[in-house]
Amino acid sequence: MTEMRTMNLAALHNKLLRSSGILFFLLLWETASRFTWVDAYFLPPCSTVAAEIVRLFGDGSLVSNLAISSVRALGGLLLALIIGLPLGFLFGRRLVIVGEILDPLLRIASQVNPFLVLMASTLILGFGESAKFFVIAWVSLWPVLFYTTTAFHTVDPYQIKIARSLAVSETELLAKVLIPSALPTIFTGIRISAGITFFILVAVEMLNATSGLGWLEHNSAMNFEIPTMYAAATVIVVLGFLLNRFLLSLENALFSWNASSSTVTRSAVREEPKPVWRPNRGAAMTAAAALALVFCAGGYELRKVNAERSRELAGPDLGKHARHLGSEVRK
Amino acid sequence: MSTIPAAATPSKALVSLARCALLLLFLAGWEILPRLGVIPSTTFPPLSTVLATVVDNREFGRHAVTSTARAFGGLAAAIAVGLPLGLLLGGWFPGTRQALEPLMEMFGQANPVILSHIVVLFIGIGTKTQLFIIAWLSIWPIAFSTISGVRSVNPQLLKAAGSFGLGRWKLFTAVVLPSAAPAIITGLRLAAGYSFIMLIAAELMGATTGLGYVMATSAETADMKSLAAAALTVTALGVATDALLKLAGRRVVTWGYQGVTG
Repeated sequence: MTEMRTMNLAALHNKLLRSSGILFFLLLWETASRFTWVDAYFLPPCSTVAAEIVRLFGDGSLVSNLAISSVRALGGLLLALIIGLPLGFLFGRRLVIVGEILDPLLRIASQVNPFLVLMASTLILGFGESAKFFVIAWVSLWPVLFYTTTAFHTVDPYQIKIARSLAVSETELLAKVLIPSALPTIFTGIRISAGITFFILVAVEMLNATSGLGWLEHNSAMNFEIPTMYAAATVIVVLGFLLNRFLLSLENALFSWNASSSTVTRSAVREEPKPVWRPNRGAAMTAAAALALVFCAGGYELRKVNAERSRELAGPDLGKHARHLGSEVRK
Repeated sequence: MSTIPAAATPSKALVSLARCALLLLFLAGWEILPRLGVIPSTTFPPLSTVLATVVDNREFGRHAVTSTARAFGGLAAAIAVGLPLGLLLGGWFPGTRQALEPLMEMFGQANPVILSHIVVLFIGIGTKTQLFIIAWLSIWPIAFSTISGVRSVNPQLLKAAGSFGLGRWKLFTAVVLPSAAPAIITGLRLAAGYSFIMLIAAELMGATTGLGYVMATSAETADMKSLAAAALTVTALGVATDALLKLAGRRVVTWGYQGVTG
């Protein structure tokens, strides 16, 4: 009993310690602004920003833009997976020599600056959604491709040999040996891609869009709605953080049996004890359904908002400048 | 393990020959296809025209030098802050590390474009802002890799060195640093890649010099020659820096894990 209590206390202490940095930062932010150590106009206190987040949530613009951003992120990532996974399998197992020959070229391609890809695709594909999907897919393709190639290339040869000596068919070998042993590394690649996707998505929306979270931030910055700007920025940063944390713990939960995955992905974050929850088929189905729902709802929202914005652009007196679209005048 | 190849591995010489051939083919295609009109030369100017823009235009050279200086300046600042931070948090202050890690992770999530909107409010538009953005986003990979490098030092090595009577400083330079070096190099390579990405982002957001500025203006005037020249230069700079760091890493670290993307 006492042992339990000390364990709980230790866990609580650990939690408190881990959140103390962020709490201290928020406190500093609040006081710095309240006592005007910095100009409160340029740095509104974090309570004001929190109230602004609540307001944006209340009037629906946060949810709408979040849905739109999710569609772009999911669509781009899906495109990257559709291209990267089969190609990685080919380069890792079937056409190893082709993969090796293409490797330097692919490495260079992966190092092309994402902002450059963004500009080039805007020039060639225009300001539509296809340019955005293209940039996001391009940037998130490389981790998926490289990690998948490595994953399939480094499957334990003994396991393959044993499977072969048991006369399993090629499809069975793929389903029972190759994919399970490659999956942890592939997932790491997908996690890295998802992080990059989120990062580039926001940049794309800021420089070249009239909707989405990035646009919300950029638009309010251009209109000097500083609390809104901080609110959108906070939402973006926190979402990115949560996404990263979620994928890391998912990886831990899915592949805690795999010792090698932790050496590949060793990071400063990995410290939590093994989670009790184990994802099963039901959880996977639910997650897939939820993603599909977000995709459909967001796609609908995206079409609606894009149509609205193009009407505004066509109107005689509204929105002379694309950056001022959709922001109401506040008194 | 060595008796069974991981997968069919072709001979080394053949592969490097084919790699060179493919690169040459790519460059030749870039030169010839626009000239033949297979792909429109107004959108994709041939390689020689792009290279001529890089070499002949003195203005362009100045922009390239400015950009390189900014990227390296930001990277240097990031190393100056991130490396000691990582060493201190990883080695000496575990409590502080636990408290700061989530906050540092959040800081690392700040997008260059978000950051520029906020930084501009306080220090205005200029080289200082660009350096700050580059440095800010490159600090975190360095700090996190250093922390994990220092923390994964084999404790038995530390004990052995301690029982040989090594002092704190000697322990640090002879055991901790060499053990952490592979992770630190990985972090540096990540940060160097970041610094070039952020450089362009920062210069696009508001600059009157540099390759990002060249890109922005040439995109506005649809001057594809200058755009391609700037693109080629930035990519070459990024690839060269990464290759240099990789080489340096090989010289400094002769063992240890180099990472999947190695």
